[in-house]
Amino acid sequence: MEYKDYYRILAVDRQASADEIKKAYRKLARKYHPDISKEADASQRMAEINEANAVLSDPEKRAAYDALADAPRRSAGAGGFQPPPDWEGQDFHFRSGDGAMPDGDADFSEFFSQMFGQGARARHAGGGQHRPPPDLRGQDQHASIELDLLDSYHGAQRSLHLRSTVLDEDGRPVARDKELQVSIPKGVREGQMIRLAGQGGQDLGKGPAGDLLLQVHLRHDPRWWAEGKDVYQPIALAPWEAALGGTVRLATIAGEFDVGIPAGSRAGRKLRIKGKGLPAATPGDLYLVLGISLPEPQTDAQRKAYEALAQAFPSFDARQQGTGQGASR
Amino acid sequence: MSTPLYPFYEPAELLDEGALDLHDLARHCQRNTDWVVERVQTGVLYCENEPPGEATAPQAQWRFSSHMLVRARRIAHLEHSFDADPQLAALTADLIEEVQMLRRKLQALQH
Repeated sequence: MEYKDYYRILAVDRQASADEIKKAYRKLARKYHPDISKEADASQRMAEINEANAVLSDPEKRAAYDALADAPRRSAGAGGFQPPPDWEGQDFHFRSGDGAMPDGDADFSEFFSQMFGQGARARHAGGGQHRPPPDLRGQDQHASIELDLLDSYHGAQRSLHLRSTVLDEDGRPVARDKELQVSIPKGVREGQMIRLAGQGGQDLGKGPAGDLLLQVHLRHDPRWWAEGKDVYQPIALAPWEAALGGTVRLATIAGEFDVGIPAGSRAGRKLRIKGKGLPAATPGDLYLVLGISLPEPQTDAQRKAYEALAQAFPSFDARQQGTGQGASR
Repeated sequence: MSTPLYPFYEPAELLDEGALDLHDLARHCQRNTDWVVERVQTGVLYCENEPPGEATAPQAQWRFSSHMLVRARRIAHLEHSFDADPQLAALTADLIEEVQMLRRKLQALQH
């Protein structure tokens, strides 16, 4: 088990006052907030910062942690840090409800779990002088999953590798790797959650396990994107297709369709194919966002064709017309 | 016992519109129902088909989406981390949601 230097994590010294710890925590919480931070390891840093704050902002836990730091280290070889023998006697109050972190200590380290979390609770539950732990429901676990838009159209199957801390027979927390095969339902959208009942954390008693909640993020794909249930796909037309209209065969994310192009279509115009967006009880729509692709003249005949076009529209002023792109979204 | 030829795929439930009731929302964001009720009544969180801050349906009929769960967890975190007033946490959540929406639109425009 790796020893955690909570003072170093919060960048404060051991004599820091409660107010200084609070200020240091808030400064780092702002810097590494996963919704805002551009740091690659923001989520991991935030979990560390939360863990350090959970101990150092609680006078009881902080005193115990300081005593632990002062005790002769029993750090040993491959096993890493070991708590002192009398650590079993430590007692903490574990808050619940409004005082707890939104995720409890589900994302905290093995060190925290052993010293202050589930491991400590398990040791207190044992030994006879305490009541057996209540059969509480285990904590939910939250994770995110990245999918392609096509996965939402057709559904998908994914293998998830999860690491969680569980208690062994002696009530000591051990890291456990778990692999789950998950069927991704059709119609998932950006930001939605998928719930796997009973695949979250397990508490100490015989209560049911919590749930695993996966938040969906759709990968950026230049070919198409979704806004809610509706899907947008850019489609390139030849100038004569846009000008003259007609029926064209288009390959879309929802399959191939014969689509009627209205004459005089401009770049940015959207054509709706009803019900071909993301699957749902009321499916979304598919919007084809028209673009115009200009062929580059390579031969004399092609150059003459452009010249003939110019002569056929002597009063056309492109600067007055604009590009049409302003209405694309 | 023989090893199955194919892996067992866990049934997953999409938390679509109306998927969560008051107790689900409270449980999944590690808060009690009073915490949720107070924030629904003050417009910090909102039920589906009810204007923010004006929920008239009985609590047993309140329904929430995945989006509201993400928002509730974010607000709970902001309140805890910064001792934030719920309305200030809601304002911050509004801004985060708007930034995320604009970033997605910008990404789509840059295709």
